[in-house]
Amino acid sequence: MLLCHLPAHLREQWPYAPKYARVNGWRMHYIDEGEGEPVVLLHGNPTWGFLYRDVIPPMLKAGHRVIVPDMIGFGLSEKPVNENAHSLDGHAANLAGLMQHLKLSNITLVCHDWGGPTGLSYALSHQDRIRALVIMSTWAWPDPPAEFHTRIFPWRTMHAPLVGPYLLGRHNVLAGRGVYLSVVDREKFKQRAMGAYETVLPDTASRLLTWTWPRWIPLDNGARAIERFRWLERELSRCKLPAMIIWGREDEVFDHATFATRFKKMLPHAEGPHLVTGRHFLQEDSGPEIASLTIQFVKKHPAR
Amino acid sequence: MTSPIKVIDAPALEGKRRAFLLTEDRIGHYPEFRAFFDRIFDLARIGLSRPGYVAAPSGLVYELCFLGRSGEAFPAGVEISVMIEALEPFDEAMVDADLWEIMRWMIDGVGAPWSVKDLDATGRLYRIPAVKP
Repeated sequence: MLLCHLPAHLREQWPYAPKYARVNGWRMHYIDEGEGEPVVLLHGNPTWGFLYRDVIPPMLKAGHRVIVPDMIGFGLSEKPVNENAHSLDGHAANLAGLMQHLKLSNITLVCHDWGGPTGLSYALSHQDRIRALVIMSTWAWPDPPAEFHTRIFPWRTMHAPLVGPYLLGRHNVLAGRGVYLSVVDREKFKQRAMGAYETVLPDTASRLLTWTWPRWIPLDNGARAIERFRWLERELSRCKLPAMIIWGREDEVFDHATFATRFKKMLPHAEGPHLVTGRHFLQEDSGPEIASLTIQFVKKHPAR
Repeated sequence: MTSPIKVIDAPALEGKRRAFLLTEDRIGHYPEFRAFFDRIFDLARIGLSRPGYVAAPSGLVYELCFLGRSGEAFPAGVEISVMIEALEPFDEAMVDADLWEIMRWMIDGVGAPWSVKDLDATGRLYRIPAVKP
Protein backbone atom coordinates (compact mmCIF):
# COMPACT_ATOMS: atom_id res chain seq x y z
CA MET A 1 0.00 0.00 0.00
CA LEU A 2 1.45 3.33 -1.03
CA LEU A 3 0.47 6.87 -0.20
CA CYS A 4 -0.23 7.57 -3.87
CA HIS A 5 -3.14 5.13 -3.70
CA LEU A 6 -5.04 7.54 -1.47
CA PRO A 7 -7.66 9.62 -3.32
CA ALA A 8 -6.64 13.27 -3.81
CA HIS A 9 -9.01 14.69 -1.18
CA LEU A 10 -7.43 12.42 1.42
CA ARG A 11 -3.87 12.93 0.20
CA GLU A 12 -4.35 16.69 0.59
CA GLN A 13 -4.99 16.13 4.28
CA TRP A 14 -1.79 14.12 4.67
CA PRO A 15 0.97 16.13 3.01
CA TYR A 16 3.81 14.38 4.84
CA ALA A 17 6.81 12.57 3.43
CA PRO A 18 6.62 8.84 4.12
CA LYS A 19 9.58 7.38 5.99
CA TYR A 20 10.31 3.75 6.68
CA ALA A 21 12.37 1.86 9.26
CA ARG A 22 13.07 -1.84 9.73
CA VAL A 23 11.83 -2.96 13.14
CA ASN A 24 12.02 -6.61 14.19
CA GLY A 25 12.16 -7.59 10.52
CA TRP A 26 9.10 -5.56 9.49
CA ARG A 27 8.83 -2.39 7.41
CA MET A 28 7.33 0.33 9.58
CA HIS A 29 5.97 3.53 8.04
CA TYR A 30 6.16 6.76 10.01
CA ILE A 31 6.31 10.48 9.51
CA ASP A 32 8.90 12.67 11.20
CA GLU A 33 8.17 16.35 10.82
CA GLY A 34 9.50 19.53 12.43
CA GLU A 35 12.27 20.17 14.91
CA GLY A 36 12.22 20.47 18.66
CA GLU A 37 11.23 18.27 21.57
CA PRO A 38 9.63 15.10 20.17
CA VAL A 39 5.98 14.20 20.45
CA VAL A 40 5.07 10.66 19.35
CA LEU A 41 1.43 10.06 18.42
CA LEU A 42 0.18 6.46 18.64
CA HIS A 43 -2.97 5.11 17.01
CA GLY A 44 -4.81 1.83 17.59
CA ASN A 45 -7.23 -0.50 15.81
CA PRO A 46 -8.08 -0.05 12.88
CA THR A 47 -6.64 3.38 12.20
CA TRP A 48 -3.25 4.80 11.24
CA GLY A 49 -1.37 8.08 11.53
CA PHE A 50 -4.08 9.84 9.51
CA LEU A 51 -6.15 9.87 12.70
CA TYR A 52 -3.84 12.63 13.97
CA ARG A 53 -4.00 14.84 10.86
CA ASP A 54 -5.67 17.71 12.77
CA VAL A 55 -3.31 17.33 15.75
CA ILE A 56 -0.06 17.52 13.79
CA PRO A 57 -0.10 21.08 12.30
CA PRO A 58 -0.61 22.92 15.63
CA MET A 59 2.08 20.75 17.25
CA LEU A 60 4.51 21.66 14.46
CA LYS A 61 3.58 25.33 14.73
CA ALA A 62 4.29 25.17 18.47
CA GLY A 63 7.85 24.03 17.71
CA HIS A 64 7.65 20.30 18.25
CA ARG A 65 9.15 17.46 16.30
CA VAL A 66 6.20 15.18 15.55
CA ILE A 67 6.66 11.47 14.91
CA VAL A 68 3.64 9.38 13.92
CA PRO A 69 4.26 5.68 13.31
CA ASP A 70 1.81 3.27 11.73
CA MET A 71 1.62 0.09 13.78
CA ILE A 72 2.91 -2.97 11.89
CA GLY A 73 -0.29 -4.39 10.33
CA PHE A 74 -1.92 -0.99 9.80
CA GLY A 75 -1.70 2.12 7.67
CA LEU A 76 1.24 2.24 5.31
CA SER A 77 3.33 -0.20 7.34
CA GLU A 78 3.93 -3.81 6.34
CA LYS A 79 0.94 -6.04 7.01
CA PRO A 80 1.94 -9.55 7.99
CA VAL A 81 -0.58 -12.15 6.83
CA ASN A 82 0.06 -14.60 9.67
CA GLU A 83 -1.82 -14.15 12.91
CA ASN A 84 1.23 -15.29 14.89
CA ALA A 85 3.11 -12.20 13.71
CA HIS A 86 1.08 -10.19 16.21
CA SER A 87 1.38 -9.95 19.97
CA LEU A 88 1.15 -7.16 22.50
CA ASP A 89 4.81 -7.52 23.46
CA GLY A 90 5.79 -7.69 19.80
CA HIS A 91 4.04 -4.43 18.99
CA ALA A 92 5.59 -2.70 22.03
CA ALA A 93 8.98 -3.98 20.84
CA ASN A 94 8.25 -2.64 17.34
CA LEU A 95 7.69 0.80 18.83
CA ALA A 96 10.89 0.42 20.89
CA GLY A 97 12.70 -0.44 17.66
CA LEU A 98 11.55 2.77 15.99
CA MET A 99 12.37 4.91 19.03
CA GLN A 100 15.84 3.34 19.11
CA HIS A 101 16.27 3.85 15.36
CA LEU A 102 15.44 7.55 15.75
CA LYS A 103 17.52 7.84 18.96
CA LEU A 104 14.68 9.70 20.64
CA SER A 105 14.67 10.92 24.23
CA ASN A 106 12.50 13.37 26.16
CA ILE A 107 9.53 11.88 24.35
CA THR A 108 5.99 13.04 24.96
CA LEU A 109 4.01 9.90 24.16
CA VAL A 110 0.37 10.28 23.14
CA CYS A 111 -1.54 6.98 23.38
CA HIS A 112 -4.93 5.98 22.00
CA ASP A 113 -6.75 2.61 21.84
CA TRP A 114 -4.11 -0.17 21.31
CA GLY A 115 -1.56 2.62 21.23
CA GLY A 116 -2.26 2.57 24.99
CA PRO A 117 -1.18 -0.95 25.95
CA THR A 118 1.65 -0.91 23.38
CA GLY A 119 2.80 2.67 24.04
CA LEU A 120 2.57 2.40 27.81
CA SER A 121 4.47 -0.92 27.72
CA TYR A 122 7.24 0.91 25.89
CA ALA A 123 7.09 3.97 28.16
CA LEU A 124 7.14 2.01 31.41
CA SER A 125 10.09 -0.08 30.28
CA HIS A 126 12.03 2.97 28.98
CA GLN A 127 11.10 5.66 31.49
CA ASP A 128 14.45 7.39 31.09
CA ARG A 129 13.42 8.26 27.52
CA ILE A 130 10.00 9.63 28.38
CA ARG A 131 9.18 13.24 29.21
CA ALA A 132 5.41 12.90 29.61
CA LEU A 133 2.39 10.75 28.81
CA VAL A 134 -0.93 11.70 27.26
CA ILE A 135 -3.61 9.03 27.64
CA MET A 136 -6.80 8.92 25.55
CA SER A 137 -9.63 6.36 25.27
CA THR A 138 -7.66 3.25 26.18
CA TRP A 139 -6.99 0.92 29.11
CA ALA A 140 -4.04 -0.66 30.92
CA TRP A 141 -5.32 -3.35 33.26
CA PRO A 142 -6.11 -7.07 33.06
CA ASP A 143 -9.90 -7.14 33.44
CA PRO A 144 -12.11 -6.52 30.41
CA PRO A 145 -11.74 -2.92 29.36
CA ALA A 146 -15.46 -2.28 29.13
CA GLU A 147 -18.74 -4.08 29.67
CA PHE A 148 -19.18 -3.66 25.91
CA HIS A 149 -16.25 -6.04 25.31
CA THR A 150 -17.93 -8.83 27.28
CA ARG A 151 -21.16 -8.69 25.25
CA ILE A 152 -22.00 -11.28 22.62
CA PHE A 153 -23.75 -8.62 20.52
CA PRO A 154 -22.06 -7.04 18.76
CA TRP A 155 -18.48 -7.19 20.05
CA ARG A 156 -17.74 -10.88 20.62
CA THR A 157 -19.84 -11.97 17.65
CA MET A 158 -18.00 -9.55 15.39
CA HIS A 159 -14.62 -11.21 15.95
CA ALA A 160 -15.79 -14.79 16.73
CA PRO A 161 -14.02 -17.66 14.92
CA LEU A 162 -14.71 -17.43 11.16
CA VAL A 163 -17.11 -14.55 11.71
CA GLY A 164 -14.15 -12.21 12.36
CA PRO A 165 -12.38 -13.07 9.10
CA TYR A 166 -15.74 -12.81 7.28
CA LEU A 167 -16.96 -9.49 8.70
CA LEU A 168 -13.71 -7.67 9.40
CA GLY A 169 -11.70 -9.41 6.69
CA ARG A 170 -13.95 -9.83 3.65
CA HIS A 171 -16.16 -6.85 4.46
CA ASN A 172 -13.72 -4.48 6.23
CA VAL A 173 -16.46 -3.44 8.64
CA LEU A 174 -14.24 -2.10 11.40
CA ALA A 175 -12.27 0.37 9.28
CA GLY A 176 -15.45 1.62 7.63
CA ARG A 177 -18.69 1.50 9.54
CA GLY A 178 -16.99 0.59 12.82
CA VAL A 179 -15.10 3.87 13.02
CA TYR A 180 -18.10 5.75 11.54
CA LEU A 181 -20.25 4.61 14.45
CA SER A 182 -17.58 5.76 16.92
CA VAL A 183 -17.29 9.44 15.98
CA VAL A 184 -19.65 12.31 16.78
CA ASP A 185 -19.84 14.13 13.43
CA ARG A 186 -20.51 11.11 11.22
CA GLU A 187 -21.33 13.01 8.06
CA LYS A 188 -18.07 14.94 8.19
CA PHE A 189 -16.19 11.74 8.91
CA LYS A 190 -17.80 10.00 5.95
CA GLN A 191 -16.94 12.83 3.59
CA ARG A 192 -13.46 13.64 4.84
CA ALA A 193 -11.88 10.60 6.45
CA MET A 194 -13.59 7.21 6.16
CA GLY A 195 -11.90 6.42 2.85
CA ALA A 196 -8.48 6.93 4.40
CA TYR A 197 -9.04 4.07 6.83
CA GLU A 198 -10.68 1.76 4.28
CA THR A 199 -8.21 2.42 1.46
CA VAL A 200 -5.10 1.38 3.38
CA LEU A 201 -6.67 -2.00 4.15
CA PRO A 202 -7.52 -2.97 0.58
CA ASP A 203 -7.55 -6.78 0.82
CA THR A 204 -8.93 -9.39 3.18
CA ALA A 205 -5.44 -10.51 4.23
CA SER A 206 -4.33 -6.91 4.86
CA ARG A 207 -7.09 -6.58 7.49
CA LEU A 208 -5.84 -9.42 9.68
CA LEU A 209 -4.96 -7.22 12.65
CA THR A 210 -8.46 -5.71 12.75
CA TRP A 211 -9.85 -9.02 14.04
CA THR A 212 -6.67 -10.17 15.78
CA TRP A 213 -6.44 -7.20 18.18
CA PRO A 214 -9.96 -7.73 19.57
CA ARG A 215 -8.92 -11.27 20.47
CA TRP A 216 -6.03 -9.91 22.55
CA ILE A 217 -8.38 -8.01 24.84
CA PRO A 218 -8.38 -9.91 28.13
CA LEU A 219 -11.80 -11.29 29.05
CA ASP A 220 -10.59 -13.85 31.61
CA ASN A 221 -7.45 -15.19 33.29
CA GLY A 222 -6.66 -17.34 30.26
CA ALA A 223 -6.10 -14.32 28.01
CA ARG A 224 -2.84 -14.33 26.11
CA ALA A 225 -1.58 -10.99 27.37
CA ILE A 226 -2.89 -11.27 30.92
CA GLU A 227 0.56 -11.05 32.55
CA ARG A 228 1.52 -8.01 30.50
CA PHE A 229 -1.69 -6.26 31.47
CA ARG A 230 -1.09 -7.10 35.17
CA TRP A 231 2.40 -5.65 34.81
CA LEU A 232 1.01 -2.56 33.07
CA GLU A 233 -1.47 -1.92 35.87
CA ARG A 234 1.20 -2.41 38.55
CA GLU A 235 3.86 -0.31 36.88
CA LEU A 236 1.55 2.47 35.80
CA SER A 237 0.26 2.80 39.37
CA ARG A 238 3.88 3.38 40.49
CA CYS A 239 4.70 5.71 37.63
CA LYS A 240 5.62 9.29 38.48
CA LEU A 241 6.03 10.53 34.92
CA PRO A 242 4.04 13.68 34.14
CA ALA A 243 0.74 12.58 32.63
CA MET A 244 -2.42 14.04 31.19
CA ILE A 245 -5.76 12.33 30.53
CA ILE A 246 -8.00 13.43 27.64
CA TRP A 247 -11.31 11.72 26.95
CA GLY A 248 -14.23 11.91 24.55
CA ARG A 249 -17.29 13.25 26.31
CA GLU A 250 -19.59 11.14 24.12
CA ASP A 251 -17.50 7.94 24.32
CA GLU A 252 -20.05 5.32 25.33
CA VAL A 253 -17.70 2.31 25.01
CA PHE A 254 -14.70 3.56 26.98
CA ASP A 255 -16.91 5.93 28.97
CA HIS A 256 -15.01 8.64 30.81
CA ALA A 257 -16.78 8.07 34.12
CA THR A 258 -15.28 4.57 34.26
CA PHE A 259 -12.06 4.78 32.29
CA ALA A 260 -10.71 8.30 32.71
CA THR A 261 -11.55 8.02 36.40
CA ARG A 262 -9.66 4.74 36.70
CA PHE A 263 -6.58 6.23 35.03
CA LYS A 264 -6.83 9.21 37.40
CA LYS A 265 -6.85 6.84 40.38
CA MET A 266 -3.78 5.06 39.03
CA LEU A 267 -2.05 8.37 38.24
CA PRO A 268 -3.40 10.83 40.83
CA HIS A 269 -0.80 13.41 39.79
CA ALA A 270 -2.11 13.37 36.19
CA GLU A 271 -3.67 16.48 34.71
CA GLY A 272 -7.29 16.09 33.71
CA PRO A 273 -9.32 14.29 32.68
CA HIS A 274 -10.05 16.91 30.07
CA LEU A 275 -13.30 16.12 28.29
CA VAL A 276 -13.53 17.01 24.61
CA THR A 277 -16.15 16.36 21.94
CA GLY A 278 -15.67 12.80 20.78
CA ARG A 279 -16.58 9.16 20.93
CA HIS A 280 -13.83 6.53 20.90
CA PHE A 281 -12.01 8.12 17.93
CA LEU A 282 -11.97 11.53 19.58
CA GLN A 283 -9.19 12.82 17.31
CA GLU A 284 -11.76 12.89 14.48
CA ASP A 285 -13.90 15.45 16.32
CA SER A 286 -11.39 17.31 18.50
CA GLY A 287 -7.96 17.20 16.85
CA PRO A 288 -7.10 20.90 17.38
CA GLU A 289 -8.31 20.80 21.01
CA ILE A 290 -6.18 17.71 21.70
CA ALA A 291 -3.19 19.49 20.16
CA SER A 292 -3.80 22.63 22.23
CA LEU A 293 -4.14 20.68 25.49
CA THR A 294 -0.98 18.73 24.72
CA ILE A 295 1.04 21.83 23.81
CA GLN A 296 0.02 23.58 27.04
CA PHE A 297 0.69 20.46 29.10
CA VAL A 298 4.16 19.91 27.65
CA LYS A 299 5.07 23.55 28.36
CA LYS A 300 4.46 22.93 32.07
CA HIS A 301 6.88 20.00 32.12
CA PRO A 302 10.29 21.07 30.82
CA ALA A 303 12.59 18.60 29.14
CA ARG A 304 14.71 16.62 31.59
CA MET B 1 -33.24 -23.33 13.46
CA THR B 2 -33.36 -25.55 10.40
CA SER B 3 -30.24 -24.70 8.49
CA PRO B 4 -30.04 -24.93 4.72
CA ILE B 5 -26.41 -26.02 5.20
CA LYS B 6 -26.03 -29.79 4.93
CA VAL B 7 -22.98 -31.86 5.80
CA ILE B 8 -22.24 -34.14 2.86
CA ASP B 9 -19.81 -36.86 1.92
CA ALA B 10 -16.78 -36.06 -0.22
CA PRO B 11 -18.17 -35.00 -3.62
CA ALA B 12 -16.83 -35.93 -7.01
CA LEU B 13 -14.13 -33.39 -7.78
CA GLU B 14 -13.33 -34.12 -11.43
CA GLY B 15 -13.24 -30.90 -13.39
CA LYS B 16 -13.45 -28.81 -10.24
CA ARG B 17 -11.04 -26.53 -8.45
CA ARG B 18 -10.84 -25.38 -4.85
CA ALA B 19 -11.33 -21.60 -4.73
CA PHE B 20 -9.96 -20.43 -1.41
CA LEU B 21 -12.26 -18.02 0.45
CA LEU B 22 -11.54 -17.66 4.11
CA THR B 23 -9.07 -18.76 6.74
CA GLU B 24 -9.44 -18.87 10.50
CA ASP B 25 -6.18 -19.36 12.39
CA ARG B 26 -7.71 -19.62 15.86
CA ILE B 27 -10.86 -21.68 15.74
CA GLY B 28 -10.43 -22.26 19.49
CA HIS B 29 -10.34 -18.60 20.42
CA TYR B 30 -13.69 -19.45 21.92
CA PRO B 31 -13.29 -23.20 22.57
CA GLU B 32 -16.94 -23.99 21.92
CA PHE B 33 -16.34 -23.26 18.22
CA ARG B 34 -13.59 -25.86 18.05
CA ALA B 35 -15.86 -28.31 19.89
CA PHE B 36 -18.59 -27.72 17.30
CA PHE B 37 -16.40 -28.67 14.34
CA ASP B 38 -14.91 -31.56 16.27
CA ARG B 39 -18.40 -32.89 16.91
CA ILE B 40 -19.84 -32.32 13.44
CA PHE B 41 -16.93 -33.80 11.52
CA ASP B 42 -15.77 -36.39 14.09
CA LEU B 43 -12.34 -34.77 14.07
CA ALA B 44 -11.05 -36.45 17.20
CA ARG B 45 -11.26 -39.71 15.26
CA ILE B 46 -10.39 -38.73 11.70
CA GLY B 47 -7.86 -35.99 12.43
CA LEU B 48 -6.23 -34.59 9.31
CA SER B 49 -7.12 -37.57 7.15
CA ARG B 50 -9.82 -35.79 5.13
CA PRO B 51 -11.61 -32.42 4.86
CA GLY B 52 -15.24 -31.82 5.68
CA TYR B 53 -17.79 -30.81 3.04
CA VAL B 54 -21.05 -28.91 3.22
CA ALA B 55 -23.64 -28.09 0.60
CA ALA B 56 -25.05 -24.56 0.65
CA PRO B 57 -28.38 -23.05 -0.51
CA SER B 58 -26.96 -22.12 -3.90
CA GLY B 59 -26.12 -25.75 -4.58
CA LEU B 60 -22.40 -25.08 -4.34
CA VAL B 61 -20.21 -27.33 -2.22
CA TYR B 62 -17.74 -25.93 0.32
CA GLU B 63 -14.68 -27.67 1.66
CA LEU B 64 -13.57 -27.17 5.24
CA CYS B 65 -9.90 -28.00 5.57
CA PHE B 66 -8.86 -28.26 9.21
CA LEU B 67 -5.45 -27.10 10.34
CA GLY B 68 -3.22 -28.43 13.09
CA ARG B 69 -0.63 -26.50 15.06
CA SER B 70 2.03 -27.93 17.36
CA GLY B 71 1.17 -27.47 21.01
CA GLU B 72 -2.48 -26.60 20.39
CA ALA B 73 -5.68 -28.62 20.51
CA PHE B 74 -6.89 -29.89 17.13
CA PRO B 75 -8.17 -28.29 15.03
CA ALA B 76 -6.25 -25.04 15.49
CA GLY B 77 -7.79 -23.48 12.41
CA VAL B 78 -9.89 -24.02 9.33
CA GLU B 79 -9.83 -22.90 5.71
CA ILE B 80 -13.00 -22.66 3.65
CA SER B 81 -12.93 -23.11 -0.12
CA VAL B 82 -15.71 -23.39 -2.65
CA MET B 83 -15.57 -26.25 -5.13
CA ILE B 84 -16.13 -24.65 -8.49
CA GLU B 85 -15.80 -25.34 -12.20
CA ALA B 86 -12.07 -25.59 -12.79
CA LEU B 87 -11.70 -22.87 -15.37
CA GLU B 88 -14.59 -20.57 -14.46
CA PRO B 89 -14.91 -17.65 -12.06
CA PHE B 90 -17.53 -17.83 -9.35
CA ASP B 91 -20.42 -15.53 -8.50
CA GLU B 92 -19.07 -13.52 -5.58
CA ALA B 93 -22.45 -12.40 -4.24
CA MET B 94 -23.72 -15.97 -4.29
CA VAL B 95 -20.66 -17.27 -2.52
CA ASP B 96 -20.80 -14.46 0.04
CA ALA B 97 -24.43 -15.31 0.82
CA ASP B 98 -23.48 -18.98 1.20
CA LEU B 99 -20.67 -18.06 3.57
CA TRP B 100 -23.11 -16.11 5.69
CA GLU B 101 -25.37 -19.19 5.85
CA ILE B 102 -22.34 -21.22 6.93
CA MET B 103 -21.74 -18.67 9.73
CA ARG B 104 -25.38 -18.98 10.80
CA TRP B 105 -25.20 -22.78 10.73
CA MET B 106 -22.02 -22.68 12.83
CA ILE B 107 -23.38 -20.22 15.40
CA ASP B 108 -26.60 -22.22 15.71
CA GLY B 109 -24.59 -25.37 16.25
CA VAL B 110 -22.27 -23.79 18.80
CA GLY B 111 -25.32 -22.75 20.80
CA ALA B 112 -25.87 -20.47 23.78
CA PRO B 113 -24.75 -17.90 24.64
CA TRP B 114 -24.15 -17.48 20.91
CA SER B 115 -27.26 -17.01 18.78
CA VAL B 116 -28.22 -16.59 15.14
CA LYS B 117 -30.35 -13.65 16.22
CA ASP B 118 -27.24 -11.83 17.52
CA LEU B 119 -25.26 -12.83 14.44
CA ASP B 120 -27.94 -11.45 12.14
CA ALA B 121 -28.16 -8.28 14.23
CA THR B 122 -24.38 -7.88 13.95
CA GLY B 123 -24.56 -8.39 10.20
CA ARG B 124 -27.32 -5.79 9.92
CA LEU B 125 -25.42 -3.32 12.12
CA TYR B 126 -22.49 -3.56 9.72
CA ARG B 127 -24.72 -3.65 6.63
CA ILE B 128 -23.55 -6.95 5.23
CA PRO B 129 -25.25 -7.44 1.84
CA ALA B 130 -26.05 -11.10 2.50
CA VAL B 131 -28.05 -10.28 5.64
CA LYS B 132 -31.73 -9.67 5.17
CA PRO B 133 -32.84 -6.26 6.51
